[in-house]
Amino acid sequence: MEIPFVVNARKDTGLNNSKVGIWLFLASEVTLFGGLFSGYLFLRIYADYPWPERTLPILPGLLNTFILIGSSVTVVFAWAALKMRQWKKFQIYMAITLVCAALFMVLKGFEYQAKFNHQAVRILGDGRVNDFAIIEGHAHYAKLDHGEIHHAEKGEEGYFKHNRIAIKASEITFTLTRPVHDSYVGAVIEQAGGEGKFKLSETYAVKDAETGESVVVLEEGSPLNTDNLDLAEDGFVEGRIHDANIRTAFLKGDWKAIRASGNDDDAWRVVMTDEWKAQQKESSLKMKGHLVDARGTVTYKIDPPLILHFDPDAVVNHSSDQLKLRDDTTIKGEFDVAGSSLPMAIDGIDFRFTAQRAIEEGIDPAKAIEESWILQTPEVKRVWDAHQEWLRFQTERLAQKSKDSGKEGEDAYVPTESEKYRVNWDQMVSYQRAGYTDIYEKAKNGELDKPNWIEGFVGPNHSNEEFIKAFPDIVVPRDKIGFESTFTPKWNTYYAIYFTITGLHGLHVIGGMIVLGYYLFFGRKMYDSNPEWLANRVEVGGLFWHFVDLVWIFLFPILYLM
Amino acid sequence: MADTPEAIQKAKKLYTFIGLLLFFFTGITVAVATVEVLDVGGHGFDAADATLGLIIAAFKASLVMIIFMHLNHEKPLIYFFYGLALLMAFFCMWLIGWSKSDPIQYGNSTAADGFYNPEKPATDVHAKVEPQE
Repeated sequence: MEIPFVVNARKDTGLNNSKVGIWLFLASEVTLFGGLFSGYLFLRIYADYPWPERTLPILPGLLNTFILIGSSVTVVFAWAALKMRQWKKFQIYMAITLVCAALFMVLKGFEYQAKFNHQAVRILGDGRVNDFAIIEGHAHYAKLDHGEIHHAEKGEEGYFKHNRIAIKASEITFTLTRPVHDSYVGAVIEQAGGEGKFKLSETYAVKDAETGESVVVLEEGSPLNTDNLDLAEDGFVEGRIHDANIRTAFLKGDWKAIRASGNDDDAWRVVMTDEWKAQQKESSLKMKGHLVDARGTVTYKIDPPLILHFDPDAVVNHSSDQLKLRDDTTIKGEFDVAGSSLPMAIDGIDFRFTAQRAIEEGIDPAKAIEESWILQTPEVKRVWDAHQEWLRFQTERLAQKSKDSGKEGEDAYVPTESEKYRVNWDQMVSYQRAGYTDIYEKAKNGELDKPNWIEGFVGPNHSNEEFIKAFPDIVVPRDKIGFESTFTPKWNTYYAIYFTITGLHGLHVIGGMIVLGYYLFFGRKMYDSNPEWLANRVEVGGLFWHFVDLVWIFLFPILYLM
Repeated sequence: MADTPEAIQKAKKLYTFIGLLLFFFTGITVAVATVEVLDVGGHGFDAADATLGLIIAAFKASLVMIIFMHLNHEKPLIYFFYGLALLMAFFCMWLIGWSKSDPIQYGNSTAADGFYNPEKPATDVHAKVEPQE
């Protein structure tokens, strides 16, 4: 079948159908991204926490902007080559466009990966303003050695991120009413070093529905494995179905009896009668002998007790003697304080939220910050003190600048909130390079040496031997963690909207690559039969690609520079 | 839109020039945001920086639309589609302004307050709201 108006224009629109189609699509895209930008604006203006201004590394964003602009030029060149019937040139320009798109995604991948590995913790303090101090960094790595959690290097066998909630477990109870998460079972067996370390505390049996005799599903002392849990679950479900049937049968019987006694009033009135209540009481006594009454849990003893650790995201709550997981699995034992702490190398200290809350509460922010738990660690205090020295220099410098330019009062230059209350990773490195001494003097003489954009390509590099010396180690006890997350949408609304918009934009890049790649690799046949048609197709694909570039032109300053 | 080989050859020069212009203005945007001498408004990021950054971005976007997307040579129907879409996008932005007139009190009532003003918390959830008469 021949598709009409793919090359020639329709008389009514003056355009070929492909062009009308792509522009209608692009119009819908404008509204989609317009809505998302509007969402960004809304979140930012009404944020009740200090917005993470300019926290993304600029260089990858800048390179990506150049890459997309460059690809916009090459895609239009590819179209021009087709119009001039230069197939070879078309191939070259289109191939460059695709390489640019791939590079864009690779850089985005690096950026995302850095965010997924970067840890942030909101520290609990005095229950008021100090509940809002934030540290950023990288969690240390750990491994299990004879049931104990020990420090490990990245890449070591069995290593994991040392951000776990640990308990010296003596008993673990699975709830059969909710699907048992195989991952938990597998993980705890692996940690314990074998399913035999767990022994069923008492025989799991249900009554046979026919004979009423007890049928053993799992013997006392059975090991923990998913097959056994499945058996218990099946027994429990069958028992529940049987009991439900018995209850329904009794209810039907009760209803018939009441109706037979001449009480056929409306249902809701019947159930209010004393006669009905008496009938129900009698039935429930009779029913007990028929019910299977399957138990909804199975408990395994762990003797001797073992350290088990869980991802904090899997733990709903914890106390000194038990943990509860998302699927209602309960682990009893002794909370492992050391194993549950979060050791990390910190590359960012942020007291902006503390300062904001302190001002709201009428407290001096400096005093609130001094009392923060974070600054009790001498290495961190050393960094903060160095920063105060730098801030003194910055304040004086800006005051002088205001004086020189005749700016007074509200117009005078003053340090930003970030400068006052936040220490970035690059500042930490510069203080370390300066030996934490005479920071004021060194700043004045321009001797503070910050890492350049290439050294911090996607942010703080914890593999860099020099940088890591500048990032103080701190061990955060679990009861000091108010909220923790990597830099993912969970952390705050900024990262939620950042990942939503850039993720959607990234999907557009991939979509564009598929379409443009199709023209490059499968366009020859069409070029031979109808080159103008292919040129039109490339123009339409190019329009989409320019739109992808256009969205990024706004995304880059908004997300990276503002 | 260029259709003859000569016109296309000429247009390619324009595309190259526009590409270079876009590179240049990207550099300007970054410089304005990172080099203190070029910082407009007060020290650090503020409304003046946001306005300038968005003006440059809008200018760059216009170049892409007009030259690369050939909007300088399009039929009225395309302008109609695109105009409607832009109207819709601006409506979304306007909703934010609309939300400002919400009777719930917020700290930052004007753009000049900036996005973070410790004197006037963005959402003063702790403030006691006087009952309206």
